[in-house]
Amino acid sequence: MGLIKFYKDNREFIKALESYGELVTIQQEVDWDLEMGAIVRRVCEKRAPAPYFKKIRDYPGFEALGAPLATYPRLAIAMGMDPKASVPEICDEYVRRTSGTPIAPILVDREKAPCKENILMGKDADLFKLPGPMVHDGDGGRYLATWHFIVAKDPDTGVINWGMYRQMVFDEKTMVGPVLPFSDMGKMFYGKYVPKNKPMPFATVIGCDPLSGVAACAPSPIPEDQFTGMLMGAPVELVKCETCDLEVPAHAEIIIEGEVIPNVWIEEAPFGEYTGYRTSPREPRTVYRIKAITYRNNPILTVSNMGVPTDEGQLLRSFSLGLEMRRLLESQGIPITGVFMLPESTHHLVVVGTKVAYSGIATQIANLIFGSKLSPWFHMVIVVDDETDIYNKDEVIHALATKCHPIRGIRKYEHSVGTPLYPFAEPEDRRWSRGAQVLFDCTFPLHWPKSDLPIKVSFNNVYPKEIQEKVLKNWKNYGFQD
Amino acid sequence: MARKEYDTFILTDLDKVSEDKEMEMILRDLNPEDRRYKYRSFYVMGMISRDESKYPDRLWVRLGRGQLQERPWSIKILKELYKFPKE
Repeated sequence: MGLIKFYKDNREFIKALESYGELVTIQQEVDWDLEMGAIVRRVCEKRAPAPYFKKIRDYPGFEALGAPLATYPRLAIAMGMDPKASVPEICDEYVRRTSGTPIAPILVDREKAPCKENILMGKDADLFKLPGPMVHDGDGGRYLATWHFIVAKDPDTGVINWGMYRQMVFDEKTMVGPVLPFSDMGKMFYGKYVPKNKPMPFATVIGCDPLSGVAACAPSPIPEDQFTGMLMGAPVELVKCETCDLEVPAHAEIIIEGEVIPNVWIEEAPFGEYTGYRTSPREPRTVYRIKAITYRNNPILTVSNMGVPTDEGQLLRSFSLGLEMRRLLESQGIPITGVFMLPESTHHLVVVGTKVAYSGIATQIANLIFGSKLSPWFHMVIVVDDETDIYNKDEVIHALATKCHPIRGIRKYEHSVGTPLYPFAEPEDRRWSRGAQVLFDCTFPLHWPKSDLPIKVSFNNVYPKEIQEKVLKNWKNYGFQD
Repeated sequence: MARKEYDTFILTDLDKVSEDKEMEMILRDLNPEDRRYKYRSFYVMGMISRDESKYPDRLWVRLGRGQLQERPWSIKILKELYKFPKE
């Protein structure tokens, strides 16, 4: 295996994006109050290059990078691959790198940690000194943390968790956001700290290297600091926090340290969410009180703008959720040909390809993935046979519309774990994170006589090989361009 | 001095909101002296009215999903409340 190319920080990644034509540098001053968010939103909707904001109103010296990983070419660049790499190629490379031995991080001295170039403590640690954007009009507050992760540690096992939990600025010292009880940090905080009425130390990392961000999105059982090392092929460099024993990426742009407070809740939301709607209710949520802010000189905030597809939350969460399902199904020996979660489905819909080796395989697939810890984040499974390209939306829609029997092909799963973010859910179900799920079985039953099996009518399927070759060879001679 | 402006989210039916009675609520500052502090939130005890001119400060009302109501209300802040444990 050759050396993996990776970017040790956000700044190297910005240079790489620029070199591949995936960056637009905006020299004109932009306002943190809606203008920056509006630009990032339009970038996501147009699949435009990432905007790099050089001047932010009211915040001289600060910069921002929008939509850093909102497209597959940008994900490929983050992985050190050719931006033209196909989705299956990026998937296979990700699975290959993350199937080996975890690579533990290394600790560096604070002198070698750029994130310590500026340190604000006590009264100086004021969240309004950072250019947290008002991302969408109507949001409940300024969301400083939209493309970031929170570091927390299990008090019993010492296991580290990095996860993306949105954080809204409430006042100078307070942030607030949802920490769902079935999430990794939720289990840690509500299961282990709250019963003892103990605050939980946290560190919010903003503007990390791109692969740490990818790892923080991944629902893998491997601790994310080690998972990042696997993606990089080298240990990620960490440094000790100022106010607690957590460790954070040394090359990140901004670190916010503090404690998650037990038994205190304040109202958070609404917020434009990954589903493309403002859905989850404004209600009392988890409170973060801050103690310190450290940052690099001329720090570069990273800004994601969730909304209608496609933003990095949808793209990366779909990517890693789908591949974790692939790992789960393969580990159980299920004969699948692949798993792909469509980012346009806001990671609600996953397509699983299978060889249909036995009757009931679609139900078995659905039962396994709906029964896993991944399940609260999606609710639709489409199982297709191996003549359908799972990465091709047209083929998947064709299979769904033609092979899925409207009654026996659809199986409903009630009383599941859901999230408050599901737009289709009843308000009371959102409040209690109750969900439902559905399987669309797009395979023909094995017991049908072979003579009764519909034959797919496509160029590749109903013409002899020699005719196909002749047509392809003469295609341009007939007058077609491509 | 310009009139202070705040907004708040009202999560119940607007018709059921009590006017001219002391109530606890969260406000966001929309025109702070230092613009960096725009949208700073804080808890208050205050009295509100649909009549924009009744109380000293202007209050914009949003519903639970951020829908801004067309006309502003007014508010009188009686006191600021502190909700967090002492550190």
